[in-house]
Amino acid sequence: MNHNNNFQQSSDGRHDDDAALTEFLSSLMGYTPTIPDELVEHYLAKSGFQCPDVRLNCCLCFCRIRLVAVATQKFVAEVATDALQQCKARQAAVVKDKRDKQQKDKRLILTMEDLSKALREYGVNVKHQEYFADNPSTGMDPASKEE
Amino acid sequence: MSDGGGESGSKHQQPHTKRKFSGDDFSQAIAKVAVAQICERVGFQTFQQSALGKLADIAVRYINSVGKAANFYANLSGRAEGNVFDIFQGLEDLGLDQGFSGASDINHCLASSGIVRELIQYANEATDVPFAYAIPHFPVVKDRKPKSSFLQIGEEPPIEDIPAWLPAFPDPQTYFESPSQNERASDSYTEKIELGKQQRKMEMSMVNLQRQFSESGPSSFVHGDSSKEKKTVESNPFLSAPLHFEEKEVSSVVLPAKLSKEVALQNPVAKKHVVDNHISVMETFAPALEAMKNRFCESTEEQKNIQLDQRPPVQFKIGVGKKSLVKPLKSSPQNMDGGKIDPWFCKENENDERKGDLKIF
Repeated sequence: MNHNNNFQQSSDGRHDDDAALTEFLSSLMGYTPTIPDELVEHYLAKSGFQCPDVRLNCCLCFCRIRLVAVATQKFVAEVATDALQQCKARQAAVVKDKRDKQQKDKRLILTMEDLSKALREYGVNVKHQEYFADNPSTGMDPASKEE
Repeated sequence: MSDGGGESGSKHQQPHTKRKFSGDDFSQAIAKVAVAQICERVGFQTFQQSALGKLADIAVRYINSVGKAANFYANLSGRAEGNVFDIFQGLEDLGLDQGFSGASDINHCLASSGIVRELIQYANEATDVPFAYAIPHFPVVKDRKPKSSFLQIGEEPPIEDIPAWLPAFPDPQTYFESPSQNERASDSYTEKIELGKQQRKMEMSMVNLQRQFSESGPSSFVHGDSSKEKKTVESNPFLSAPLHFEEKEVSSVVLPAKLSKEVALQNPVAKKHVVDNHISVMETFAPALEAMKNRFCESTEEQKNIQLDQRPPVQFKIGVGKKSLVKPLKSSPQNMDGGKIDPWFCKENENDERKGDLKIF
C-alpha cells in the first residue's frame, strides 16, 4: 500500500515535472537569450555535440541550442552578480573609512580582483599580474637604483 | 614606488606589433559583446578590458564543457546525436561544484533535478535582452571549385591508360622553366650598373635645379632654360614649380557651425570687454580665412595687398590661457598676416570653453 501510494505520488510528481519541462522547452522558442544561437552552435559543434541542421524545421535541435544558451547565460549572470556584490562591499568599506571626503565614485566597474574572487567559488582560479615592468629595476627606490 | 603598486594591471603599454588575426577572433569578439550585455543587465556600468576578456573566455569554455559532457553521455547511451537529457546531465556535472538540490540522489529523474528547476526559474524571471547585432551563420565554408576533368575540357588524356573522368593535367607553362628567367639572372649585374647611372642622373638634375632656383627668383623658375630639367621636373611632382594664384581650383574651407556660433555666444569666463569685441574678431579673421583658402597659390606680396586694402591696421594681442602658440604681433604689416593665421590654428586646438583675453592697445 505504502509502496503503491509512493509510486502514485512519484508518478504524479514526475508527470508534473514532465509537464513543467515540456512547457519550459516550448517556451524557449519564444525566449531570446542574450548569447546568440550561432555562437553556441559553433562552439557545440567544435566540442563534438552533434546536432542536425538547425535550418530545417526541427524545433528539438533548436531547443538544445537554446537550452545551452540559457544555461550559459545563467552561469555568467551568477558570476557577474557575485562580482557585483564584491565590488559593492569594497565600496561600502571605503566609504565607511572616509566619510568626510567626497563620496566614492558610484560607477560599478568589473575589475579583475572582484572577478577572481567570484570565480574562485566556481572552481576557476584566475590570477592576474599586479603590474608589468619593462626592466628589473622599475619601481625600486632611486637610491638603490643609482647603486 | 610611484607607478608600481598602484595600478592593478589596468594600465599597460600596448605593443606596437602588427596584430595577427586567428580564426577564433570573430567568435571571441561576439562572446565579449554578449557577456558585456549580460553584465550590464546585472548592474555593472563599465568593465576592465582584461576582466571582460577573461569572463568571455570562461563563458566560451563553459559552452565547450557542456557540449563535451553532453556528447559523452550521448555516446555512453549508444547514440551519436545528443538530446536534451544529455545536456541536463552535462549541466549537472558542471553544477556539482556549486551544488544543487537533489545532487546527492543518484537515482533521481532528470526532469525533476534541481538544475532544471533552477533553470526554469531563471528563464521565467530574467527579462529578454536579445543580442545587439545580427550575426551571419558562421563559420563560412568556402566553395571549392573542383578541377575540371578531361571530359569537361574536351581534351584527350595524353596517355591511353588514364581515364577521361580524372581531372586534367595543369598547363605546361606552370611547371616548365621559362627561358626569360635565365637571361634576367645573368643580367643582374648590368641592371645594377644601369640603376646607378639613373640615380646619378637624377642627382645631377636636382643639383642643377637648386642652382637655378637660387640664382633667379621663383617667378622665373617656370621658364627654365634646359629642357632636361623640365623633363625631370615634370616627372617628379615634388620638384615641380609652385602653382600661382588661380592656377588650380582649391575647394573652399567651410567654417564648422559650432565655431561660428560659439564666437557669437557669451562666455561667462571671458571678461566684459571681450564680449564687445567678439563680432569684430570674426570680421578681422575673415580676411585670414580667405588667405587660408588660397594658401598654396599666393605669393606673399599679393597677400599683403589684400590685408591692407580691406581694413585698417589694428594691433592686438591674443593670449590663450596656459598655452600660447601665438607669437605677439608687431606693428609691421609683414608680420601681421603670418601672425593672424597662427592664432586661428591655436583657437581650433584649444578647448571651446576656454577664451583668451582680447586687448586693444
